Amino acid sequence: MDYVDELILGQLRRKNERALSELYKAHYPMVARMVIENNGTEDEAKDIYQETVIAFYERIQDSKFVLTCRIPTYLYAVAWRLWLKRLSARKKFSLKVHETEEFLQVAHEMASIEDDAKRIELMNESLRELGEPCGSIITDFYIHALTMEQIRSKFGYTNTDNAKNQKYKCLQRLKKIFFDHYKEKL
Amino acid sequence: MTNDEKKLLDDLHAYADGSLAEPERLALEEQMRTDHEFRRQAGQYLQLIDTLRKAGERNRLKSFLDLAHTDVAPLAHKRTFTLPGANRNVKLWPAIAAAASVVVVSIVGTFIMTQSVKEKQSQEFRALGRVVEQIRKSQKAIMEDIADVKKTEIPSANYAGTGFLVSSNGFLVTSSHVVRGADSVFVENKKFGRLKAEVVTADVTNDIAVLKIIEPFRAPTLPFTIRKTEADLGEQIFTLGFPREDIVYGEGSISAATGYKQNASSYQVAVPVNPGNSGGPLLNHQGEVVGMISGIQTETIAAAFAVKSPVILDAINLVPLDSIKKAPTLPFQNKMKGLSRVQQIKKMQDYVFVVRVYNQSK
Repeated sequence: MDYVDELILGQLRRKNERALSELYKAHYPMVARMVIENNGTEDEAKDIYQETVIAFYERIQDSKFVLTCRIPTYLYAVAWRLWLKRLSARKKFSLKVHETEEFLQVAHEMASIEDDAKRIELMNESLRELGEPCGSIITDFYIHALTMEQIRSKFGYTNTDNAKNQKYKCLQRLKKIFFDHYKEKL
Repeated sequence: MTNDEKKLLDDLHAYADGSLAEPERLALEEQMRTDHEFRRQAGQYLQLIDTLRKAGERNRLKSFLDLAHTDVAPLAHKRTFTLPGANRNVKLWPAIAAAASVVVVSIVGTFIMTQSVKEKQSQEFRALGRVVEQIRKSQKAIMEDIADVKKTEIPSANYAGTGFLVSSNGFLVTSSHVVRGADSVFVENKKFGRLKAEVVTADVTNDIAVLKIIEPFRAPTLPFTIRKTEADLGEQIFTLGFPREDIVYGEGSISAATGYKQNASSYQVAVPVNPGNSGGPLLNHQGEVVGMISGIQTETIAAAFAVKSPVILDAINLVPLDSIKKAPTLPFQNKMKGLSRVQQIKKMQDYVFVVRVYNQSK
C-alpha cells in the first residue's frame, strides 16, 4: 500500500462513488486480459471483475479491514481466484495466468468473498420465488427505505395497518424460503 | 401473527438500524443471551435483514458499475491475437502499468478538482498537489492508445506543486505525490527560470521525492540549513509555496509531533496551505528547514501535515549515485539566523521552485 492507494482507499471508505468508478475503469484492462487469455469472454471478464470490485468495496467499508498489498494487486488476486473457481466448475484447464505471488490475505478472504456472493445470489433467488407483491413490498421497505404510508398508497392498501400486516407475512415467508435454500446450498 | 411477534419484527428492524432505544435494546440482547430458541429466531431475522440490505446495495453497485463500464476503453485483444503469443504480454504490460499510474493520478486529481468546485464531500486527507489541467482527457487518450484503436495526439496533463533546493549543485526535494507518474518534470522560479529536472528517488511512504536538475546548474551557497533534529511543539514556523503562479507566504506553528494517523515521520502544522503547497519548505524563526508540507486533513480545519526534516535528510542521503552524478552537498551554514522575517523570505524565495509535472504517454 502506498500513499496514493491510501488516498483512494480513504475516498472509497467515504463512499465517493466517483472514485469507485475511476478505480473500476483503471484496472479493468488488467483483469479482462487475464480472463480472456484464459478461455474467457469479455462478458465473463466483466462479470468476474464487477464481482471483484464489489467484494473489495464492501470489504474496505469495515474499519477493521487492513489492506496488506497494493490495490491492483488485491483486485488481480481476487479476480484470478474467482476465475479459477469458474474454470474448475467447467473443468477446463489450460491456464495462461500470469504468475502472481500468493497473497495470504486474499487466500484467507476468498472463502468469505465467495460466501457473500452466494448468500446474495440466494437472496435474489428467494425474492424472485417470493413473487409479487411481496417481493416489491420487502425491497421497498428494507432496501429502498420507503415509509409504510408510501407502501400503502403504492400498493393500494386501505390503511397502513393492512400494509403492515402484509409486510410481516411477506417477511415470514421470505425467511422460510431463504433459510430452506440456505440449508441446502451452504 | 400475534402483536408480540409484530413488535419483535419492528424492534429487530430498529436494532439492525441501530435506532432501537437503549432499554429495549438491552432487553432484546438479554433475551437473546438467555433464550436459545429466541436467539435462533431473532438471529435469522437479523441475518435476513442484513442480507436483504447487502443484496440491495450489491444490485445497486452492479448497475452503477455497468454504467461505468460503458466508459471503459475497448480491449486490444482482437488485434493482439494475431501477434505471436510470447511477445504479447511483454509488449502490453508496461503500457498498462503506465496507464494505470496516470489514471491513479487522475483519480487523486479529480478529488481535488471536485473539492474546489463544491465542498460537498468531506475528505479525510488531501494531497496538496495542484491539477492544472483536466487529466481525464489524456487518460482516455492513453487508454485508446493501449487499445491501439487510433494514434491520436495526446494532450499533456499538468500537475504542479512546490519544491526547494537542498544542494547548490542542483538537488531539490518535493512531495512524491507531486511527481508521481511524471514523464517529465520542470522546476521554475523567478531567479533561475525554467529548468528540466528528473526524479532521482521517490520515497512514497514518507511522501518525499528527490529531484536533480539535469541542465548545467550552479546556485550560490544555500543560505539555510536543514535541521537534523525534530522541531518542538509550538515552534513558530513559516512556509513558501506555489498554490498559485506567485509564491505565497504562510506562517503558523507546529501543532502536533505526529502527522496523519499518528505518523511519526511527520508533524501536524497550523499553517494555511492549499493545493500546490505540497513540497514547500517549512522553516523556523532561525531560518532552518524543519519540514516539508505534504497534505491536509480536511475534517479538521487547519490541520495540515509536514514531513519532518530528519526524514528528509535520510531521503537525501539515500540518493543513488553514479559516476556522473555528484552527491548532493547539503548546506551547512545558516545565513538567515537573526534576520527579520522579510529578509529571510527575500533570501529563501530564490531557492523555492514551482514543480511542473507532465504526464505524457509516448
